[in-house]
Parts: sequence; structure tokens; C-alpha cells
Amino acid sequence: MGLALALSMAGCATGSGNAAARDAVLQKYRAAAAAMHSAHFDQAKPLLDDVLMTLDGLTAGDRSARKARGTFHEESSKNFRGEPYERVMAYYYRGILYWLDGQPDNARACFKNAQLQDADAENHQYQSDYVTLDFLEGLAAAKLGGDGQDALKRARTHARMGVPAEIDSQANVLVFFEMGTGPRKYAGGEHGEQLRFSPGASRADRVRLKLGGQSAEVRAWDDLSWQATTRGGRVMDHILKNKAVFKDATDTFGNAALISGGALAIVGSGRHGPADEIGVGLLAAGVLSKLISAAVTPQADTRQWDNLPNLLGFAGLRAAPGQHQLTVEFLDPAGRVTLTRDATFTIVPGGADTVVFFSDHP
Amino acid sequence: MNSVSVRLLLPAVVAAVSLVSGCSTYGVRNPSGSGVKVLQPEEAGTVAGTGIESQDLVAVSDKMARGIVGLDRIKSAGTPPNVVLLPVENETRFAINKDLFNTRIRAQLNQKAAGKVNFLARERLQALQKERELKQQGALTGGTVPGNAGFAGADYMLTGKLSSLTTKSSKGVSDYVLYTFQLIDVQSSSILWEDFAEIKKQGQDDAAYR
Repeated sequence: MGLALALSMAGCATGSGNAAARDAVLQKYRAAAAAMHSAHFDQAKPLLDDVLMTLDGLTAGDRSARKARGTFHEESSKNFRGEPYERVMAYYYRGILYWLDGQPDNARACFKNAQLQDADAENHQYQSDYVTLDFLEGLAAAKLGGDGQDALKRARTHARMGVPAEIDSQANVLVFFEMGTGPRKYAGGEHGEQLRFSPGASRADRVRLKLGGQSAEVRAWDDLSWQATTRGGRVMDHILKNKAVFKDATDTFGNAALISGGALAIVGSGRHGPADEIGVGLLAAGVLSKLISAAVTPQADTRQWDNLPNLLGFAGLRAAPGQHQLTVEFLDPAGRVTLTRDATFTIVPGGADTVVFFSDHP
Repeated sequence: MNSVSVRLLLPAVVAAVSLVSGCSTYGVRNPSGSGVKVLQPEEAGTVAGTGIESQDLVAVSDKMARGIVGLDRIKSAGTPPNVVLLPVENETRFAINKDLFNTRIRAQLNQKAAGKVNFLARERLQALQKERELKQQGALTGGTVPGNAGFAGADYMLTGKLSSLTTKSSKGVSDYVLYTFQLIDVQSSSILWEDFAEIKKQGQDDAAYR
């Protein structure tokens, strides 16, 4: 009976579930980033809209989440939404696309929402500290006739890399750039119950922009590896820790029961006395406890949006009406060019802002 | 297995199962999260988030339409005034289709105060201009051939703004959204009418996502 129970629990723990549904958001994240990198913005848009519809909803009552909290189910059995830095990027990309469509107010809404994803970092110092997002919120506000100075002040307060210049509401060429490969998740701890991050990397940490006679060097403003590692502990980490403790406790109990039961069984062997019977009982309890321990799954969810960049940056330029070519040189810290990209566009008098997106993603 | 072994085994199984049930969420407050509550106004229903949703759109646009219909200058106007809808300003953290508000207010007014207000289709101005020019050139026949007079000008402009205040922590997220709408007299630039609606929602994610 005990064995059946334990096997049943173990079976639950490894049930396949609906993997496609669990990873739907993750697949869309990856596809959207790939579309952004290849400048297929129309493909990225519906993917991000789908994702944001999910992210905008609360997860209270989510069955997959309840399952993931269960002792015999892995955290990865929940529907993937990503860690804050991943959710931030979904809103950030959608914000860029709204601006591309001439909707700076909806872009601003996305940048605000992105910043909010980072609002529950354990250490208050690291809450909502994306420089790019604050700056863009301020720029959008200024362009819409408001005052972006508060947002600019926040951006400068959080700056660790490049420091944003003054907001130029007349800038009509908005250059979004990103570089490197983002942080990677891995499971640490004895049972893999701790979600950890290894930092991403980037050869370039700045760009040189050449537009007509203008040339400007701009450093990246945000580092996703920094963002991933400064979030602090999650509530789910507490749950996983409890699962790990339970796994250890049942394993230890199983060991003790097996040893004691074995010893008693040997001592009482052939006598058919109480020691013999207790020994058998303890052996059975030990086996059961070991089986339960084996079925406990404290592993942290390491599914990840794996085509994210490591560094983010932005620059606003002014361009007169007419056709232009913008050249972006990605530079390493020593000033060496690691990659060059170009974009050609036409500025229409009184038209919407021109939005260009550059990535050094291969 | 004799009765002594059964007596020993059963408590062990019961103890193990008791341990299994619920111990992983020990110490986590409200692990299942709490459902979203619409704090005000009275619109209820199944909501998925704390953002701007259909019930908010309905409640707000209904209130604004009622306010405009009740205006003396609208009710007692000899000639129905011409009204232009300006895009709603969105200052919230929610990316929305802003036209929804104006569209619904216009539909409500046309339904409740038919003939009392004329709405000018400024968003179609380019297409209207082209049609007018083609008619004047004789390239299109039928309908009334327009003279040289321009399109009708507006007496009033209706516009709105959506602002929000958000709080988020490990205890959940709370969103307050303030909707303000104004009817502006084009001649004097005075605000003929203004009204607002406010909605606050809060909720908490499942612990698995916190």
C-alpha cells in the first residue's frame, strides 16, 4: 500500500502535463526577440501582444502555479512568465514598436509597465532601476507636452554605466541599441533548489553613431545581468527551500528507519518476536520514506529567454527632412569597432519620429 | 504481514502523508494569491488584471455620455452644436486603444441624444477631402456636388485624459486610474463641462510567480 502510494506520488511528480501551454510564453519571447533582431517588427508585434496579454493578467488561482508549489511537482510545471528582467524586456520591445507606430503614449505605458516588473526586488535600492526605461518615459512625456524631468532625474540616479544627457524633445531619430548575450539561469544548491544566474557577456559596451555630419559615442545604460542578479530572493525560493528540507528530512528518516529496522530484524531473526516485527515495520517505513524523498522535486525553474542581449542603450538624434543613412559602430571598451550596421530612412516634414533598432545579435 | 507490522506501518504512512501535504508552502502567506477586486465603482465580474478593462470602459463612457447629454447648452441649443473628438491622452501604464473611449461616448450620445449633437468625422478628413475634390472635378457623379465652402467647423471639442497611480510590492499590485473628460468651447477656449471617474483595483499573484 505504502509503495503504491509513493509510486503514485512519484508519478505525479514527473507527469508530462501540457508542455506546449507551459512554454507558450517562452516560445513567443524567443520568436519575438528573433524577429526584433532581424528587423521583422510586424512579426514581433503580435507575439509580444499575446505575451503581454498574459503578463497583464494576475496569476491568482492559476492551476499550473498551484501545481508548481506542490511538493511533488517541479517549479517548471507552472506556465512560464519569466523572471522580472525577462518580463521587462517584453514590455520594452513592445514599447519600441509602439513608438515605431507613432504611438509614444502607448510606448510610455509599456516602459512604465516594464519598470514596474522590477518593482519588487528584495533590496529597495534595486527596485525599478532601469535607466533606459526611466529616460524613455521622460522623453515620451516631453514629446507629449509634459515634463520628463522627474523621470530623467530617476534615470540619472540609477545610472551605473552611461549617464543620460538632457532630454531633447526635438530629437526625431530614436536609436535603440542592444549588445551581447544576456544572463543565464542555472540551478544551485544540493537539490538544485536555488535559482542562480551566470552573467552574460558583451564585447561591445558602447556605440558610435554617424548621421550626416554628426558623430556621437554613446555608452549602454543598462545591464541585464546586473538586473537579473540584483532582484534578490523570491517567495518561490522559500517554497523550494522547504521542499528541499522535506526531501532531506524524509531521506534521513528513511536511512535511520532502514538501519534501525535492519538491525532489529537481524537481532530478532528467526525468533518471530516483537523485535523482528518492529524491524520489518521500520524497514517498510524506511523504504516508503526514501521513495517519498525521491519523489520530492525542489528543482528551481531554469527555463529562460535565451536570446536576450546583455546591454541596452538609447540615443536621440535630430535629422532634417530628407533621406538619411545612419551608421552604428559597436565599440569595445578600448574603442575598437566590433561590428558595423547601417540603416537608411526618410524624414518627412512634420512626420512621426523615426525609430531604428540595432542589435549585434548574429 | 501480521497485525503488529500493520500497526507499525500504518502510522508511518499516515505520518509521511501528513508531512507531504502542504509543508512546502509553510511560512508563505496566502500562497494561492488573492483574486482581483474592483474596489469601485460597482461593476463586478471576472477580471484578469488590474488594468483598464471592458467594464471600466463601459462605466466611464456611460457616465461621460450622461453628463454631456444633461448639459443645458446641449439640451436647449437651437441648432445642434458640432463636436470634434480629440484623441484621449493616455498617461497610465496600460497600453490601450484610446479611441475606444471616444467611440463609445459618441455612440452613446448619438443613441441617447439623437439630433442634439453633431459629430464631425475629422479622423476621415483626408478621405472626405478626396471625395469632395473628385466630385468637384466631375470625376464622380451622383450625390450632391459640393460648392466651394469648406467642411463644417467645430463648436466644441471633447477630449479626455487617463492618469494612473500604481503601487507594487511583494504583497501585490494596486492600480488607481483617473479618467477625466472635458468639453471645450472652441470660440472661447473655456471648459464648458468636465467630469471624472476613478477606479481602483488590486490583486496578488500566485506565490509561484512572486
